Amino acid sequence: MKTGIWQEFEGYAEIIKDIEASRKTGEKFTAERFSPEPFIRRLHPERLSLQVAEIISETPSTKTFRLIPKGGELPPFQAGQYISLFVEIGGIRTSRPYSISSSPHLREFYDITVRRVENGLVSNFLIDDLAVGDELVSSGPAGHFYFNPLIHPKSMICLAGGSGITPFMSMIREIVECGPDRSVTLFYGNKTSDDIIFHEELGQIAARSDNINYVPVIEDPADDYTGACGFMTAELITEVLGDVGGKSFFICGPRGMYDFCLPELEGLGIARRKVRQEMYGAPLNIWQYPGWPPEVKPDRLFRVKVKNGMLLEARAGEPLLVSLEKSGVVVPSLCRSGECSMCRLKILSGKVFQPAGVPVRKSDRQFGYVHSCAAYPLSDLEVLI
Amino acid sequence: METYDVVVIGAGNGGLTAAATLAKAGLDVLLLERHNIPGGAATSFCRGRFEFEVALHQLSGLGTPQKPGLLRTALDRMGILDDLAFVEIPDLYHVATPDGFRLTIKPDRMQAIAALQEKFPHQKDAIQSYFDLLANFADDFIGAFIFRDPEACGEKYPHLYKNAFKPSSEILDAYFSDPLLKAILSVYWGYLGVPPTRLAFAYLAMIFFQYTEFKPFHIKGGSQALSNAILNKFLSNGGTVRFNCGAKKILVDNGKVKGVLTAADERIESSYVISNASQVSTYTELIDPQDVPDAINTEMRGRRLSTSAFTMFVGLDCEPAELGITESTNFLMANTDICDAIIDRMRKLDIEDELMVMSCYDVADPDFSPPGTCQLNIVTLKYGEPWLQIPAADYFKIKYRCAEGMLRRVEEIFPGIRAHIEEIEVATPLTHMRYLGHPAGAIYGYEQLAKDSLFFQPGRYSPIDGLFFAGGWVGDCGFEPTLRSGISAAKSIIKRMGQDRKKS
Repeated sequence: MKTGIWQEFEGYAEIIKDIEASRKTGEKFTAERFSPEPFIRRLHPERLSLQVAEIISETPSTKTFRLIPKGGELPPFQAGQYISLFVEIGGIRTSRPYSISSSPHLREFYDITVRRVENGLVSNFLIDDLAVGDELVSSGPAGHFYFNPLIHPKSMICLAGGSGITPFMSMIREIVECGPDRSVTLFYGNKTSDDIIFHEELGQIAARSDNINYVPVIEDPADDYTGACGFMTAELITEVLGDVGGKSFFICGPRGMYDFCLPELEGLGIARRKVRQEMYGAPLNIWQYPGWPPEVKPDRLFRVKVKNGMLLEARAGEPLLVSLEKSGVVVPSLCRSGECSMCRLKILSGKVFQPAGVPVRKSDRQFGYVHSCAAYPLSDLEVLI
Repeated sequence: METYDVVVIGAGNGGLTAAATLAKAGLDVLLLERHNIPGGAATSFCRGRFEFEVALHQLSGLGTPQKPGLLRTALDRMGILDDLAFVEIPDLYHVATPDGFRLTIKPDRMQAIAALQEKFPHQKDAIQSYFDLLANFADDFIGAFIFRDPEACGEKYPHLYKNAFKPSSEILDAYFSDPLLKAILSVYWGYLGVPPTRLAFAYLAMIFFQYTEFKPFHIKGGSQALSNAILNKFLSNGGTVRFNCGAKKILVDNGKVKGVLTAADERIESSYVISNASQVSTYTELIDPQDVPDAINTEMRGRRLSTSAFTMFVGLDCEPAELGITESTNFLMANTDICDAIIDRMRKLDIEDELMVMSCYDVADPDFSPPGTCQLNIVTLKYGEPWLQIPAADYFKIKYRCAEGMLRRVEEIFPGIRAHIEEIEVATPLTHMRYLGHPAGAIYGYEQLAKDSLFFQPGRYSPIDGLFFAGGWVGDCGFEPTLRSGISAAKSIIKRMGQDRKKS
């Protein structure tokens, strides 16, 4: 025991006795009993080893991949969450987030539903090249786009666009199959009727469930189409819902849909706290965003030096994360939409463009950290990963 | 093989200050951090338009430039004061109960006494005597320990010698009859994790002294700003940091540190390691069992894990005043009985009438959250063990159930909060375990009983030559102690290197 004046303090002898006793009766600390890792892995595994068990064609351009665990159990998730797939395509190691479209109560598999995207590296690879039996590596479930019973009114209004239907499928299937006391009115926008994913299933669910209402909205309808047409306007929403009070709103779709729908909801007087938005990936035409310096052309190349690492070229119009990946530099990533901060890195010198609204911590801004999936080079750079 | 003078494992408060201090002394330092961001608990995360503070409630030890506390002096020496802005919190704390009792105590001795005497006129003299005891105790403590009086003895420092190890509740019982008053004066047990029946009076008295003497503070940009500032200084002094890369092994040969094996399987050569990881995982996972001396296992057997916490981060779409929140630090109290049964409740999943602390940073710093909004960080202490037993499939259900319980309790005192919630995130003991890497999510490291204090425990030292510790497992918990623990560990190594040079 240490020696010092405290040996004279009242109660010292009792504490010494206490220490001696506790050393006899105390539990031995062992890794088997106390290692946090096994407990963390059950809920939030960093990586999942998956295998394609089944491939379901949903539309000519869309497939659902049923992914089963290669050993072990899949962790639970909340309907609306995503997994990020880590893939290597043509020598490039990258990742993409996909919402889980299956119900959270089924934990033998996760379904992800993928639509072909023009020039889409990963989506098109999955659709064209992935076969039953192939193996994949993913993140654990992540994301914050889900119904929160603490604050969300049970009457859910869901606005989906295109492949943005996937998180809602999980939510709707959960309600139908597990029966939580909730209702959904789904507005589902697509260019043409042929693009609608899950159209038949949604129609059937709505027909047999009082608490599920399905409203397809077609932008470019065929002549004989009788349903809702155009965009998801405030007018359409009011027409279907009547009163918009006491409801929670969820939006998932392409960026243009947010630009259109959010002001519509605001116009209806719906408070910001009642509207949840899923992320939508990196903007396609960043150089058209407010604040982009017009003198920097999107194809301009800048040199990026990774501290203690390689020198590479990066295109102004492409997220820094993507340029790094194309040069073989692996940066951890998850949401690829600016939100999760996994791809955070420090700009040691040079300038980047960051679109407004990317949630970067205040002090990260102060010390030059950016989310590399939402940062675009505007000069030569030196970065610290 | 790469070689460094020192490898620091973990960029929490202790790891950061250790690394920065060593780098400033000109040493070649590698800092390993398994997350992608420095800070450990001293961090923040973004949800929607909010950036939530994770762990800092009231920063102690800062004082003013004119009357600096030990922490301000330490941060100044590190050269980071210019990178940070501090906000003095004008209240010590506010206590609120569901039956409408409200009391704000200012971080000023005279004002605190007056406010308490006004609410508890029947205990007027006792309040004065108790505050006299607090002052006398602090004087004794400073004389004996800070000034290291070589002639310290029980006659010279009677308050210290008599009361230091006594349970706080015993002292409060001796002074007061009113249970509410006793509960109000002991709320800071929440910052130490041990209820007043077991909390040594030295802790309660000195935390009270610290905050009244040097005032409670918050940091502009939250605790992440502090973490970023320290890391920045470390880097500019030539330090090397590797994020997303923890340590897999501390390599020990013949009782002496030889280096570290990183999670990426690189072998790093180094004679010194500072572990800012939990002491439990350092000794049970990072070091091979044959290299751990028996004395360590015996010593650890006498320790218990501290409590974890159940935390709610709430973003509101209104100003605090709209909900009647007028102070930064609010203790919500539904049960005033400071008895041993508090521990039993801490061992249960569900929240009943536990003491909660609710910090609203926007009261003192209106820029903290976006205009027209504010955020709350609400915590109650819960042991992690019951959460380890939950089947994975039930986790979300139970998490929401407990959060619902907490929210209901907050609403009893501040009605209408729920209708303004824009963002809400819940952290259970399992969440704390996930992000801290501490067994059972123990937020304070080992339990902080008198026997666990530095009077009795090895603190930053290890019998393994070259190994030192920094952080909450070393001794006292909280921001100031963990920040200072890293500086102490660094200094120990610098001193050792100096001795070694002299020898050779």
